[in-house]
Amino acid sequence: MASLLTSLMGGSSATTRVASGDSLGLAPSDKYSVLLPTYNERANLPVIVWMLVKVFREYGINYEIVIIDDNSPDGTLDIAKQLQDAYGKEHIVLNPRPGKLGLGTAYIDGIKRATGNYIIIMDADMSHHPKFIPEFIRLQKQNNYDVVTGTRYTGSGGVHGWDLRRKLTSRVANYIAATLLQPGVSDLTGSFRLYKKPVLSKLISATISKGYVFQMEMMVRARQFGFTIGEVPITFVDRVYGESKMGADEIVGYLLGLFNLFAST
Amino acid sequence: MSKLTRFLATAFVFLAAWLATLLGYVPVPEIAMEFVPALPLWIIVSFGAYSLASIGWSLVTFGDCPEAHQELLQEIQQAKADLRRLKVTVD
Repeated sequence: MASLLTSLMGGSSATTRVASGDSLGLAPSDKYSVLLPTYNERANLPVIVWMLVKVFREYGINYEIVIIDDNSPDGTLDIAKQLQDAYGKEHIVLNPRPGKLGLGTAYIDGIKRATGNYIIIMDADMSHHPKFIPEFIRLQKQNNYDVVTGTRYTGSGGVHGWDLRRKLTSRVANYIAATLLQPGVSDLTGSFRLYKKPVLSKLISATISKGYVFQMEMMVRARQFGFTIGEVPITFVDRVYGESKMGADEIVGYLLGLFNLFAST
Repeated sequence: MSKLTRFLATAFVFLAAWLATLLGYVPVPEIAMEFVPALPLWIIVSFGAYSLASIGWSLVTFGDCPEAHQELLQEIQQAKADLRRLKVTVD
């Protein structure tokens, strides 16, 4: 609708997109809260926030970004405060915590602070690009999905920066999980997702696993509760700054967690 | 019922039926007895072959998205310039 108007008025929609949620099917009361758990993300945080703001402004989406920092020694929180000054307290919400308390509780704390009716979770290290968020929103609105999850493994999705060994590990891990748990989602360990707020609250309170298994359990529980899940192909650019870690400990932990889920759901 | 118990129950029923057939409690045609003994092994080997093929195929078709990387690097430069203007420290 917006682009039709622009072209009728002779405007160029390629260069100046009209800021309107029309094309996404947004309701005036819709607000999207992005939860960004951070630990030593001083270099990444400002850039990811900048990219988020760019997308939200471009599409006229009502938003806030909740930064949950676990007392990073590199001063991530100082940067977050600068971002708050730059973009405003209504858009950048700070939720500092005294120490490394884990992803699960970061989401719980983030939900408490979030004022949006939708929650977006993603990594703060720029491996997830905000440009996919409008796709998530559009798909969610079209089908009224409870959850929309990004997938690296179908369609135009993919990963940059992985060698063959890392790809093989990921594929085998995902294959075993898919075979044992039958979740009907192609990317179980992905962590770029859009949730209806009450749905995320319910899933978090039911989820007990940690680490890689955490994201997986959220999908399995979602199926268990009968929530509907949509998928959007995403590209994943592995950490531009810093190194991504995946050692033997993680693999063993993953397999144990997987078996626990197999035995308990 | 958990997925594990469902799997164990299915496996148990299958193995019981297989053993009963093997020991002659279930009447089957003579010709069937040619392959009944190998049935569990056949299932395991087929599953293994399917798994290997499936993982192999997904490796071959794994998207590499180099353009996403390029795009990101450019956008980071833009972001940094703009962030400095907004008085945000970027290293």
